[in-house]
Amino acid sequence: MSQPVRSLGRASAPAGARPGRPPQPPADEATALRRRAQSRRARREALFGYAMVASALLVVVVFTVVPIVASFVLALFKWDGISSPQFVGLDNFDALVGDKAVTHSLLVTSGLAVLIVFLQVALGLGLALMVAQRASKIVQNLFRAAFFLPMLASAASISIVMAYVFNDQFGVINYYLGLLHLPEVSWLSSTGGATATIVLVAVWQQLGFTFILFVAALASLPGDVLEAAQIDGASSARLFWRIKLPLISPTVLFASTVGLINTMQLFDQPYVMTKGGPGDSTYTTVLLVYQTAFQNLQFGYASAISVLLFAVLLVITAVQFTASRKWVFYS
Amino acid sequence: MSSGTFKAPMSRRGLLRAGAASAALAGVGGLASACSSGSSSGSSGSKVLNVAIFTDQSSADKMAKSAGTFEAAHPGVKVKFTGTTGTDWNDFFSKLLTQMSAGNAPDIACVATEGLQLFAAKGLAEPLDAYVKRDSAELKPYFADVHPALVEAMMYQGHLYELPTDFNAGNMFYNTSLFKSVGVDRPADDWTRDDFYDIAKKISAKDGNTVGYDWVVRLWGSWTSWMYANGGNLLTEGKWDGGDWLWNTFYPNDPAAAGRKGGWRWGDPTANSAPVVESLDYLIQLQKEGLSPKPDIGGGGTLQGLFASNKIGMAIGGGFWAGGLHNAGMADDAFDVQYFPKWQSQRHLFGSGGYGIMKSSKNKDLAWEFLKTLVTPKNIDLLIPGNVTTPARKSMLTAERYATTGPKNWQVFYDTLTKFDDTAPIPAPPYYQAMAIALNKRTTQAMSTGRAKAALDGLQSDLETAAKTG
Repeated sequence: MSQPVRSLGRASAPAGARPGRPPQPPADEATALRRRAQSRRARREALFGYAMVASALLVVVVFTVVPIVASFVLALFKWDGISSPQFVGLDNFDALVGDKAVTHSLLVTSGLAVLIVFLQVALGLGLALMVAQRASKIVQNLFRAAFFLPMLASAASISIVMAYVFNDQFGVINYYLGLLHLPEVSWLSSTGGATATIVLVAVWQQLGFTFILFVAALASLPGDVLEAAQIDGASSARLFWRIKLPLISPTVLFASTVGLINTMQLFDQPYVMTKGGPGDSTYTTVLLVYQTAFQNLQFGYASAISVLLFAVLLVITAVQFTASRKWVFYS
Repeated sequence: MSSGTFKAPMSRRGLLRAGAASAALAGVGGLASACSSGSSSGSSGSKVLNVAIFTDQSSADKMAKSAGTFEAAHPGVKVKFTGTTGTDWNDFFSKLLTQMSAGNAPDIACVATEGLQLFAAKGLAEPLDAYVKRDSAELKPYFADVHPALVEAMMYQGHLYELPTDFNAGNMFYNTSLFKSVGVDRPADDWTRDDFYDIAKKISAKDGNTVGYDWVVRLWGSWTSWMYANGGNLLTEGKWDGGDWLWNTFYPNDPAAAGRKGGWRWGDPTANSAPVVESLDYLIQLQKEGLSPKPDIGGGGTLQGLFASNKIGMAIGGGFWAGGLHNAGMADDAFDVQYFPKWQSQRHLFGSGGYGIMKSSKNKDLAWEFLKTLVTPKNIDLLIPGNVTTPARKSMLTAERYATTGPKNWQVFYDTLTKFDDTAPIPAPPYYQAMAIALNKRTTQAMSTGRAKAALDGLQSDLETAAKTG
């Protein structure tokens, strides 16, 4: 006996049919009808799906795919944006090899990225542990909002405000240090100070993101496992290192990967707060790309640096994922 | 790995099309056309003259009043002033050049000394020689009122590119109440670096919140003013040939025009020469002694605020400081100005501003007609209200003009040009943008590390590279 097919529509039941069930067409016809219906539905669903994602797809294509492709093309040209572009093949990439500014900017960026990502992950996790363990739901939600708020403001506006807050001469921070009879700090005019200030501001702004990720990850931990460990007498530290951390390791990987990709593209803070200085101590690669393209008018070379940064990010991410096999636990 | 076949220049649109074609390969071809630029907005075939200026849009709207008479005399023509902001001139140029790259060039742009050679060398600005020669009779009163040094600063390779409307020489502003509080009178016209040092020391010793001297990191009026006074420069000085037509027509018997040629020719970098290193070392010394704080990068707006709050005794400023301090709430007798102190010489630097026609403009003749009206005293007044800079026309510097804003000794502004023959424009070669970045970077490096020579060796190297790559 053929399997019953789902009703294709409301119809009056013919004589002899079982009450409450639609008439049963012959098996071949039923299969054909079912296939046609499924095919139509699949087409409709596909069209609906495409329509729904079209706007998002358009944005991705226009603002991500096209610029990436254009960067690769532009990197093969010498172009000042005004006169006629000249095809120079891989000359721009050749020039990258001996360019100390590029090497330096990559080192500065990597250093900043490691510091920022480490602090973001460590602080985000620490805060999440504190909030998840000790606070009520209301307090947790308040904390989530408070830590997430800086993410809503643009990095540029935050940097403008922070440039005043950390200003060596009239900044609020140095003012309070003075009130406490502490020595003023050269926040923005010394190498260490400028680096620390940029790291602090970037960490503060992005902390809410990692915090929320970890709060969610900790909330989804299996209660029975934690309970069993506690019954077995595991200390808090042991519980964290042996149970919680391995279980949330995919979140750690995600947070550090996204954080690294974001901070390797650090621009707003150094551009607004330090202009890459003092000297070139906070001169990041994206700042170099901006100045090479829009101030020195070397669009081709700037594109080559962008392609290099893209490649570096790709390699770092690949290494990160490969290495993660040894420490990320997928339950 | 470049091939000769492909060395032929490609048009800008061609390149964009190539990018578009590549994007199409990625399945996105239809959208890439969004990248291609159209023609100059508002200027192609229309009667709109687009003017680009370095200010905010609200100030630009006020400046647009200067077009009133011109628009009345040319029915159907509309002049549109577009303001663009930035930290300093290099920010403005970056934005303007990017607009031009996108095919959105203005008809007229206000470009200061910093960018004149950049725009001229890239073929973006239209030489005004033919227009000036044609309308020389009409322009004689204008040139007679403008110091030749300002005109020469607007020339490049023998051609005139802009009619100057304003300028600022690097003088020394001082806070009269702070001077009075430490028993110091107005410095003499020929005061020296030692006099300056003594005053700075007295003011800095007053209390922990006041410094004798402050400055900002930039090309105009930064430590570069000390460099000029010490007989140094970042680049080898020279002059382009040509320009006789202008000097013979407008300044035939003017001694101030003697030796003027076709614009400043900036040669090999000399950024680590002894007088340059010595001048930056001097600023480091002032900082170490607590007479001057670590400087900020930028146009100096913050500095004016600190000065107006009586936290700074002295600072380099031009005529624009009069308007700036007034706007910051400072009474007209609370500050005054004097020439820059003497070191090896009392040479001053200056920067001038003016308006030029863009080569891409489709309304050049109309733009020229407008340019002529812009340099009338009435319109210069509208362009620079409230003494936000010094008028290029000497007749406009009157007691009445400075009665509201101060300073008492406003004559210093123009006399810096007339009394000091060696007053010269800031060094701004065609590679100004790269130079500005390098200068800011190396100056902050020197102030942070306390090692001027090492930083200026770096600057020398940066400038050599920039000069090569153009």
